[in-house]
Amino acid sequence: MEFVQRKTADRAVEHFLKEASDKEIPLVWDRYEGSLPQCGFCETGLNCRDCLQGPCISHPFRDQNKVGICGKDKDILGVHSFVRLVVQGAMGYFDQLADFAKAVEAGEGSPKRKKEAEKIVEDIRNIFGDGDADVMRKFPKVLTDGWKATGVYPEGISRTLFKLSQKLDGGIGNVEDTLLWAFKGALAGCAAQMLQGRLKSAVFGDTSPKDMEVNLGVLQKEAPNILFYGHFSPLLKQKIAESTKGKKIGVMGVCTDPFIPPYSFAPVTNYGSQEIPLMTGAVDLIVAGDQCVNPSLVELAKIWKVEIVSTEILKRGDLSVFARQIVEKAQEAFGARSGVSKDIPAVKESAVMGFSQKDMDVKKVVDAIQGRKIKGVTILAGCNNVKFTQDHEIVSLAQELLKRDVFCISEGCASVSLAKYGFLNPKQRETNCGKGLLSLLSSLGKNFPAVVDLGSCENGGVTDFLLSMVSAGKKQLKEFPIVACFPEANRTKAVARAAWTVAMGIPTYFWPFLSVTGSQKTIEALGGFCERSFGAKLHVVTQKMEYKEKAELLMKGLERV
Amino acid sequence: MKVIKVDPEKCTQCHTCDLWCGIEIGSVTKELNDAIHENPQPVPRVHVEGNNFPFHCRHCEAAPCIDACPNGTMRRDPETGLVYVNEPTCIACWMCVMVCPFGIIAPSSSMHVAVKCDRCRNMEYPICVDVCPTRALVLEEREEGATWYGFAPGRSF
Repeated sequence: MEFVQRKTADRAVEHFLKEASDKEIPLVWDRYEGSLPQCGFCETGLNCRDCLQGPCISHPFRDQNKVGICGKDKDILGVHSFVRLVVQGAMGYFDQLADFAKAVEAGEGSPKRKKEAEKIVEDIRNIFGDGDADVMRKFPKVLTDGWKATGVYPEGISRTLFKLSQKLDGGIGNVEDTLLWAFKGALAGCAAQMLQGRLKSAVFGDTSPKDMEVNLGVLQKEAPNILFYGHFSPLLKQKIAESTKGKKIGVMGVCTDPFIPPYSFAPVTNYGSQEIPLMTGAVDLIVAGDQCVNPSLVELAKIWKVEIVSTEILKRGDLSVFARQIVEKAQEAFGARSGVSKDIPAVKESAVMGFSQKDMDVKKVVDAIQGRKIKGVTILAGCNNVKFTQDHEIVSLAQELLKRDVFCISEGCASVSLAKYGFLNPKQRETNCGKGLLSLLSSLGKNFPAVVDLGSCENGGVTDFLLSMVSAGKKQLKEFPIVACFPEANRTKAVARAAWTVAMGIPTYFWPFLSVTGSQKTIEALGGFCERSFGAKLHVVTQKMEYKEKAELLMKGLERV
Repeated sequence: MKVIKVDPEKCTQCHTCDLWCGIEIGSVTKELNDAIHENPQPVPRVHVEGNNFPFHCRHCEAAPCIDACPNGTMRRDPETGLVYVNEPTCIACWMCVMVCPFGIIAPSSSMHVAVKCDRCRNMEYPICVDVCPTRALVLEEREEGATWYGFAPGRSF
């Protein structure tokens, strides 16, 4: 059992914690403490609810209760826990992609690069059937040949995710086979993520690095604020932004893709504190998609008289009409909510976000690695997890790595975490980085911050960067000193993401530990077996570690080549 | 004397009590992720059986296990009244296992000692009571003359 000592490292969030406790408003931390101790069987993956004969557990200390009713032993239960996470996570990417592609196909949004968009939609149609996606040919042949040899090369959704989901329902696959299926599903998710990114570029044009402001201070006091929560159709975002043109309405985001060119939506906060913007009283309307949106928002919104509009409803109707309605609602709400007191902390940080591999000379990064100027590259990803002090792990880990001349790239909510503390502010890079890294960053460009944000978790910015490293360095990914790290992971998407990163040959470190630890075999398979199959391990770390130890661990990973 | 009271109506047979008993009391490492892989397997002192009932030692007033023990290994703590096994002197004859009317005492063949719930007498609070998610287990003062708490519930599915 673990109890949270300090809730958050963010002082803007801390500002509201006392108010919440005085008014007895339960926040995520209270609910976490209320749920302790968490079920040990679920935590270690020794449980199963996949049929109605159960629920079953494999009791580690009782001989008569070692296997489930259908005969799943602890190893199968462990690997199935992993599969369950990967399926759900990979589906998340496909869900967004289907939504977006359907609308583009129907002629919404008038794509900037029409031919390219059509081609990508065709590719998407393939992957939703049983064909393999063209986009996977972007990977070096050695890698895809390896995937084909082990059988994890992703084909259409029916041959990957449908099959994978049925592994949970029965069959006699052993740990290794089932794990390979999980990797196949995860790689399909990777394809979906890349396609989403490419379609977004074709429809809206390429993103370029943008000066942004991050944290609660970006909320406007004198004008209506619309907040986007979670993931929903980029076209709807565009239409809402268009409808606000000429009006004084702030459109911002939480856990959402901040860039739909030419618009951008300043990140108000990140996952762990997504309830806090409501407490400022300055939010007038929330547009909530799926994924990454806490259901707790509904009750909290009632207190501050905020309406939440869900985008993922059965009958959404025409997007433009829907967008106009949303903007009108926000304006009305601003008038109606004039009696609600507003408390916007003056905490914000500037950041340059939204780089892509096109904006940087990747050759320079490769040369810096070869010239031993930097120790390697670390991918920082994941959101927040209430099991850790919000932002503390990722920020202190980034600090350690930057000091040791490790080039850090990040995406999604991880970027927002880092941005809140100035790691994405080019002016502050000198205080954080080691000498070698600093010279690399200044050679890359003036506006390069200490940690380079490669866009939202919806788009494959990091994957594209990795591919450009391969073509610039003429080496395989596993031969580069690259590691990936999820210091505060919590979504299933992060698990799928970690799995495909491993399949590419990049060692991945995951916190908190995945719910597979009940099975020694699964842990070993994620280590040794993955190492043999893909050249990298998925490290499931169960020991408690300080951030310095974690940094040491990552450095060891970088030193392997 | 405080004993653990069981409310079978609240017990959902989730096995959280025996899992944590195995970790906190039975294991060497005391950490969830390590304890579950320990060999020999840790022995929990409490076990949940069919009818929504976690079995604990009732610390009987006239305890058959103390009477049956040939060398005084099974003892009663004079201060708290709790019955416990003095492990170093246990000769693994399993007399106590045989006579216990509630089937509480488990023979640990790997450790060669009798293993039984001592209501976490060295801890402030019994771990099973602490972790029970439905509060089916509570720590209560024992009524005068009563030897055990709880009752066999009428089950309906």
